[in-house]
Amino acid sequence: MNSVPKPLFASRLAGIIVKYPKSTVFISLLLMIVLLSALPRLYKDTRADAFLAEDNPALVYRNKVKEQFGLSDPIVVAVINESDHGVFNPASLNLVNWLSEEVSALENINADRVTSLATENNITGSAEGMAVDPFFDEYPDTQQVADKIWRQVSDFPIYMGNLVAKNGQATLIVAELNDEALVEATYQEILALVEKAPKTLGDKIYVAGEGAIAGYLGSYIDADAQRLNPLAGLIITIIILLAFRRVSPGILSNVIIAASVLMTLSIMALNDVAFFVITNALPVILIGISVADSIHIYSHYFELQAKSPNRDKKEIIVETFEEMWRPITLTTLTTIAGFLGLYFAAYMPPFKYFGLFTAVGVAIAWLYSLVFLPASLAIIQPSASKGMTKLAQNNQVDKLSKMMMSLGKVTLGNARMVIAIFMVIIVSGIYAATFLTVNEDRIATFHPSEPIFKADTAINKFLNGTYNLDIVIEASENEGLFEPVNLQKMQALQNYALTLTNVQGATSIIDYLKQMNRSLNGGSKASYQLPQQKELIAQYFLIYSASSDPTDFEEEVDYDYRVANMRLNLNKGSYQDTKDVVLQLEAYIKENFKNSDLTAMVSGRVTVNYHWIKDLGESHFVGLGISLFLVWAVSALLFGSLSAAIFAIIPVMSSILLVYATMVILKINLGIGTSMFASVAIGLGVDFAIHTIDRLKSLYRKTNGDWNKTLADFYPSTGRALFLNYLAIALGFGVLISSKVVPLTNFGTIVVIAVTTSFLASLSLLPALIKVFKPRFISDVIPEVSTDVATNDPNSKQPVMARKWLRISSIIVAVATLGGLAITNQGHAAIIDINTLEPMAVVANINAVDDGEYVSRDLVMTLKDKRGKVRVRETKAYRKHYENEKRTILFYRKPTNVKGTSFLTFDYQDAKKDDDQWLYLPALRKVRRISASDRGDYFLGTDFTYEDMKLEGKLDVTDLDFTVLNAETLNIVDDNSYQSLLMSGTPKNTTIAKELGYSRTEFWVDTKSWLIIKAKYWDLKGKLLKTLVSRDIRLVDDIYTRHEMTMKNSKTGHQTTFSFSHVNYKTLVKDSLFSKRAMKQGK
Amino acid sequence: MRMQLGLSFLSLIIALLLAISNKAHAEYSAILEQEWSIDNNGNGQKFETLFEPQYTSSLSDNVEMTFIGRVRFDSFDHLGMANKNAENYSGINGPLFANNHTSFSIREWYFDTEIANSFWRIGKQQVVWGQADGLKVLDVVNPQSYREFILDDFDDSRIPLWMLNVEIPVGDDDSLQLLWIPDLSYNEYAIAGSVYQATSPLLVPILPEGFELAGFHQSKPDSVIKDSDVGLRYSKFYQGWDLTFNTLYHFLDAPVNYQVVEKNKVSIYAQYERSYLIGGTASKAFGDFTLRTEVGYSSDSFHLVDNDSANYLTKQGIHQSADVSSVIGLDFQGLTDIFISAQWFQSYLLDDGVGLVRPQHDHSFSLIYNQSFANEVWTFEGLILHGQDKGDGSIQAKLSYMLESNIKLWLGTDIFYGNKSALFGQFKETDRVNIGIEWGF
Repeated sequence: MNSVPKPLFASRLAGIIVKYPKSTVFISLLLMIVLLSALPRLYKDTRADAFLAEDNPALVYRNKVKEQFGLSDPIVVAVINESDHGVFNPASLNLVNWLSEEVSALENINADRVTSLATENNITGSAEGMAVDPFFDEYPDTQQVADKIWRQVSDFPIYMGNLVAKNGQATLIVAELNDEALVEATYQEILALVEKAPKTLGDKIYVAGEGAIAGYLGSYIDADAQRLNPLAGLIITIIILLAFRRVSPGILSNVIIAASVLMTLSIMALNDVAFFVITNALPVILIGISVADSIHIYSHYFELQAKSPNRDKKEIIVETFEEMWRPITLTTLTTIAGFLGLYFAAYMPPFKYFGLFTAVGVAIAWLYSLVFLPASLAIIQPSASKGMTKLAQNNQVDKLSKMMMSLGKVTLGNARMVIAIFMVIIVSGIYAATFLTVNEDRIATFHPSEPIFKADTAINKFLNGTYNLDIVIEASENEGLFEPVNLQKMQALQNYALTLTNVQGATSIIDYLKQMNRSLNGGSKASYQLPQQKELIAQYFLIYSASSDPTDFEEEVDYDYRVANMRLNLNKGSYQDTKDVVLQLEAYIKENFKNSDLTAMVSGRVTVNYHWIKDLGESHFVGLGISLFLVWAVSALLFGSLSAAIFAIIPVMSSILLVYATMVILKINLGIGTSMFASVAIGLGVDFAIHTIDRLKSLYRKTNGDWNKTLADFYPSTGRALFLNYLAIALGFGVLISSKVVPLTNFGTIVVIAVTTSFLASLSLLPALIKVFKPRFISDVIPEVSTDVATNDPNSKQPVMARKWLRISSIIVAVATLGGLAITNQGHAAIIDINTLEPMAVVANINAVDDGEYVSRDLVMTLKDKRGKVRVRETKAYRKHYENEKRTILFYRKPTNVKGTSFLTFDYQDAKKDDDQWLYLPALRKVRRISASDRGDYFLGTDFTYEDMKLEGKLDVTDLDFTVLNAETLNIVDDNSYQSLLMSGTPKNTTIAKELGYSRTEFWVDTKSWLIIKAKYWDLKGKLLKTLVSRDIRLVDDIYTRHEMTMKNSKTGHQTTFSFSHVNYKTLVKDSLFSKRAMKQGK
Repeated sequence: MRMQLGLSFLSLIIALLLAISNKAHAEYSAILEQEWSIDNNGNGQKFETLFEPQYTSSLSDNVEMTFIGRVRFDSFDHLGMANKNAENYSGINGPLFANNHTSFSIREWYFDTEIANSFWRIGKQQVVWGQADGLKVLDVVNPQSYREFILDDFDDSRIPLWMLNVEIPVGDDDSLQLLWIPDLSYNEYAIAGSVYQATSPLLVPILPEGFELAGFHQSKPDSVIKDSDVGLRYSKFYQGWDLTFNTLYHFLDAPVNYQVVEKNKVSIYAQYERSYLIGGTASKAFGDFTLRTEVGYSSDSFHLVDNDSANYLTKQGIHQSADVSSVIGLDFQGLTDIFISAQWFQSYLLDDGVGLVRPQHDHSFSLIYNQSFANEVWTFEGLILHGQDKGDGSIQAKLSYMLESNIKLWLGTDIFYGNKSALFGQFKETDRVNIGIEWGF
């Protein structure tokens, strides 16, 4: 019957596999074992920060702030007692003391950064001026002492709500970690301490905080994965056992599952990709997908075997292979396309890797299903179950097939009705999608029954909240924060922040200054205000430091009193609850801090979370678009028909829209876990449609163009296999529903809904549409007669075929280009929205660009005057970062006239300290001390200034105010195009402008490397002074390096090009090189 | 001379063998300079071609050799090349060949190596101590050639010596330098009849009227070990200050001309004398200013006395005294492309001597003004030296132009003023204009 020529290559391959089955199985297993050796290298990264790229501006800035103020995400232990005295009874206070001491003694806890009633000081006025004494000055062994402590604490506004509940019923022990990487073990140690703590009646102890969340999340997810994965494997084995009544397919399926999952994880390990929180979904997905391929192969094999029990089984295996390689390859390609959509669209690294490596896993499953499985079958040679054989012999079908036939009957009998029902689903889905809410709450990852969830709820009920938002306030000069006007501005900001929803408390030096002022003015509440004179403020800090530990304020203000941190406490941490706070604060700062000596910048965990989630919705829909396009394009190429591809994606589109409707109804938010469902649903769901279309085409051919028979024959065979396929996937994902990780539960739920819809749509909507529209992609492949005609006249057929493929390809390219353009614009906007982009964050990014601890390089300076006369100087340059300074040495090599000249600089971090510079002139044979050149002076006759040389492409935030002007593509002649941000920098005052020699600069920053590619400078009269262009940017030892920089002076027409070569960040640069001896010796 | 030739030849063979056996990195460069000087009478003073090849080669991973040679050719012979009586050089120093127009010499030839974390430079070399420009307090390790008085570049006029120079880093930024100099070579003076022959009574013994010169007897230290110089310097970088503490046990580079009177005849015995030098330098930048200071105590210094003073007979015309000299210099770089530097130099003899030709407390001043234009294509350099005691001095000015990366042209002038008996004034009639070109390759 089958007139289509058998695929020659497939037959040959199947023949080889069946001929050498043992070798094939051996090679397959060997490959798996070799790769598995890399698996132990896989490491977990469950940090929230892992969701953002390491160079994300918000993250970079927050890490800088954390480092500057020594902040870390703490573990918070709460003692709650709801009795009359609250925690202010001797027993509870002793418990606080005990916990503080025990927690401090833990190895990974920074004992200096444990904050509790037992560690904190009270500030009061005294005969000498100010007394700073511990609250637990007197041991709290009687109720009177406890009452006294309560009176002191409740009279100290900074601690109320932050450290102690306003009603006295709760207090915290806040512990910061030495090494955040060890948080999980520390969290467990603290839980063990809590377990043996000397609690008395009424005391409850909770452990929470971002540190605890991160600490617990790792083990929580581990435990969950260890439970879920075997469960999924077990369910699938049971389905196969029930379907085929044979043990061997169950075992073989598990081998393929193991190959797909474990080899993928090994490849991740080899590529140094971490196992993120969401990677937990990867094994489950691969289990579902890899088993689907084998189910189709078993179905066909047992079907043939049942029909002809005496036929050579190897022959049957070859025939199965010939028949099934195509649909399995088709579905694999479309699934890979779906997951690659996620890879291309995602902006968070874990999602990108998830998309990429799931695609890799799908490819491995395909390979093992087509190679390992036939080989194993050739060895085992299983027979169809007796029941199946009997039914086949009698031309009967089993219950499953009957069920599918009934579905076919209903569908084909009511084709228009089926179409109408799905139309309603699609329209409701589109409507529902507009109500989708983007939200994410890290604590909601945990099941509400989890202790950490309860702890979080309890602490946020009694105290100001466990979620932190930091505002960094920076003055332009050292001790700028002694200025009363600046402090007033800070106070106004703090007061404004406290009016915002969910902001429960705020801590900054303002509070300490007010308390000190009050203590030194007799303690009256009326004196709880900011002092008005700069000298007084300076004195307060001096007096405080004399009375107590001077590092007490290190979390609030830097050593130079230039940068301060204001920490806000929020009692809710979800995106929806906090985004307005971030936006309102940013708007306030923009409005009230312009034209001021102060700059303010929002940071902290809450801000990072905001940046993390804000683009999630957009990224989701972009990902959906890319996945749909890829699946459509792959289908179009595979079927050779654009309309077949459209039919193929209709079921998945309807399933996704139904999921949107369900999410809105069930109030499931579009969050980290749920946002990736679409790509998964497309990748998996489209398989049903592909199998349906492919099978219908082949049946139409077999039935000689009988539409009714084609559709009717489809259900008992392919319908049955698809149902088993569906069951495997749905139950595999169904396992996720039982997950304790709430986002995974939600994810599992909606994927099951999506896959169910896709399955139903592929077996009802799709046949109904085909019945009604009788599309040509099914009908024009066959008729035997016309095929003969065609083969008789190949000349007439070939141009038609060529035109068809050309048309398909060109349309795909056109759609891809248009879609690509739309997505690029939109996607770019998603990543770079200049209205919300904080210039300081971009600057922080630029300044965070790695330039190596040390570097050696050859530098050729080409100086060219306006008449084109060129002078060249060849030098060897070395640079090394030290703890407090950067040392640079430059040795002149050519021309001979300057050979031996060397220039050494010690550039100190402390801006107040002038650089130290020395020049060695061989003619004098003497190392000469020279004064630190004026910043705007030109460096050794070039067009680069000493400031340019010193900053090496970084920016000095104390000199300039920055603005983001535009996001644009920058084309550099003879070089590349860069996606860049155009920024402007203006000197903070005319003195700085004069020093730098320019009144304004504009620069283009590459958003990939964060290097400044181009910059323009305007002189003090506003005329263009000089232009910098960088070229030949490439990675050297993993560091983006500018190999050519040209500075052209527009006034003189003179230009200097610095060309770097032999750049080496790896070879150690010796300290002895930065010495006067080396200057003389020339090396 | 023969000894030097032999030594040089041997070294050359060793170095060539090492260089050939080791295909390591080698670098060759050279400077060709042509300078034409015309005196104030419009006559040519010199038309000098100077060729200085430099060859550097890594002999092994840890040993590098540097060779700098010099060929000098002057079509005039007014400056005097071949000093037949040049006793100032030791057997292993001085030109390999010299006549009135030409001289060949090994300027420097040394080997650098790092041993046990210390840096060794062994061979013929220049070592410069001190912070002062143009005036010497501590910069007395190498002797000087006064063939062109002070007009030649220091780099060209300083006489390199064979020595052992070890620098041992101490801590991060400090170092200790040890010098052992067995090369018994001293200052070279312009020969009699040449343009820059010294005539000032500050430098040259003047016989009492009616007296005759009975004879000139020169004696030189000759024991390589016993008469060698030894120096020690500790350099420290402390709170932004560059500090050095120096000590040198050495023979003074100028011979002491003892004058022994017998009847109406005077015999001159030129002898080299030893002295201890202890001193130090300190320099630091303050904003646009750089302060440079240098102080040195010499246990012995020798000065001529007037031939009519009582000391002339009793002390053989020489006053011996300890000396404290210092320089305070201030550089200013606050203006773009401009460098201004002023120095005050003083020398104080702890023992006052009757009839001393020089004052007990001597002061000199210097002023440097350098400015570059058009990205250092043009450079102007001006230097004024002024002696307070005699009111004399010199003015040097030079305008250079970089024709190419490696070709420099210049036009300059050297002018002396003051009393003929004074240090600078003695050359007041030898002012000159210089035109030069330098090509590096």
